[in-house]
Amino acid sequence: MSDNQLNVIVICGSLRKASYNAALARTLPALAPPGMAVKAAPGWDKMAVYNHDLHADGKFPAEVTAWGDAIRSADGVIIVSPEYNWSIPGGLKNAIDWVSRFKEVPFKEKPVALQSCAGGALGGARMQYHLRQSLTAIDALIFGKPEIFVSFSAKKFDEKTLELTDQPTVDIVKQQLASFEKFIRRMNGRK
Amino acid sequence: MTDVITICGSLRKGSFNRIVMNALPGLAPEGMQIKEAPPISEFPLYNADIQNSTGFPAPVQTLVDAIRAADGVIFNSPEYNFGIPAPLKNALDWVSRVPNQPFVGKPIAIQSASPGPLGGARVQYDLRRAMVFLDALTLNKPEIFIGNCAQRIDEKTGKITDEQTNGFIKQQLAAFAKFIASYGGKS
Repeated sequence: MSDNQLNVIVICGSLRKASYNAALARTLPALAPPGMAVKAAPGWDKMAVYNHDLHADGKFPAEVTAWGDAIRSADGVIIVSPEYNWSIPGGLKNAIDWVSRFKEVPFKEKPVALQSCAGGALGGARMQYHLRQSLTAIDALIFGKPEIFVSFSAKKFDEKTLELTDQPTVDIVKQQLASFEKFIRRMNGRK
Repeated sequence: MTDVITICGSLRKGSFNRIVMNALPGLAPEGMQIKEAPPISEFPLYNADIQNSTGFPAPVQTLVDAIRAADGVIFNSPEYNFGIPAPLKNALDWVSRVPNQPFVGKPIAIQSASPGPLGGARVQYDLRRAMVFLDALTLNKPEIFIGNCAQRIDEKTGKITDEQTNGFIKQQLAAFAKFIASYGGKS
């Protein structure tokens, strides 16, 4: 694609191998518009449980720095996450809490879009509204609509291959990615 | 000149939030002009039948035009029952129904004052959520929560008496001016 192609990274909030959210995250590169390349962000699974003492000397663990750098250098970030106990999974929140401590917070003025899959009817809506609140604290540019709530996720993916098989879901995800591309260009173009 | 309009969530004459709203023109950075939006007090309670039979009421259309013409909108609102005051929610519900509703891509800032210690934090997070539906661009920080407002605002003179509060508001207005310059101007 042209040199004008946007570089977007996707962060998954679940570590589970058979996660529907991870499956959705894997489909994004193929569903992205031509002007946007989507690839996986570095993992956050090796990060220690946050403790200020671990960076009191001003040095951050390598995996935290790598995650922060990847966010900083991306044109946009998509977070695809399950809902745990009606909120943000602890592991994902831990990663956000870590990078929020950098002097230059990597999410600052970074376009961010959200997606979630859940087994229930709300598709992770409560998690997304908690995540919006945390992203407000770290000054991200949070994409509005369309929102992606993949409800009853077990019915939307192939049981064995975990391929996203539900066409309406594919269509709305494509729509969000196309709108997100416009949002990123509008936000970055006017800075 | 950056033109910003303010909408007060309280209709009460002596409202603390109205006092804050009235102070904004004097606290705005150079280049930003702040004026009160046309009133929401005459909006009927939202009913789609009205819109379908006689069209949008004139006060609704007037507010919509004002929002469309403004570079940004500031909400000064109290918290009622942990949420958005009904007069304000009613106004948003009307405005949301107008074709090409005017909040899309519009820079928004929020301020709240309340007698309690949280200063209206819960109304702000409710309002932010409604603004997601309206696809506005809501300023993140600094947030303005004027807690224990009876001690910071003089109801009799209608003035903010707390210099720190004035300072915070100035900071937010300056940040809002920058936000509008960076991200506003297009829907």
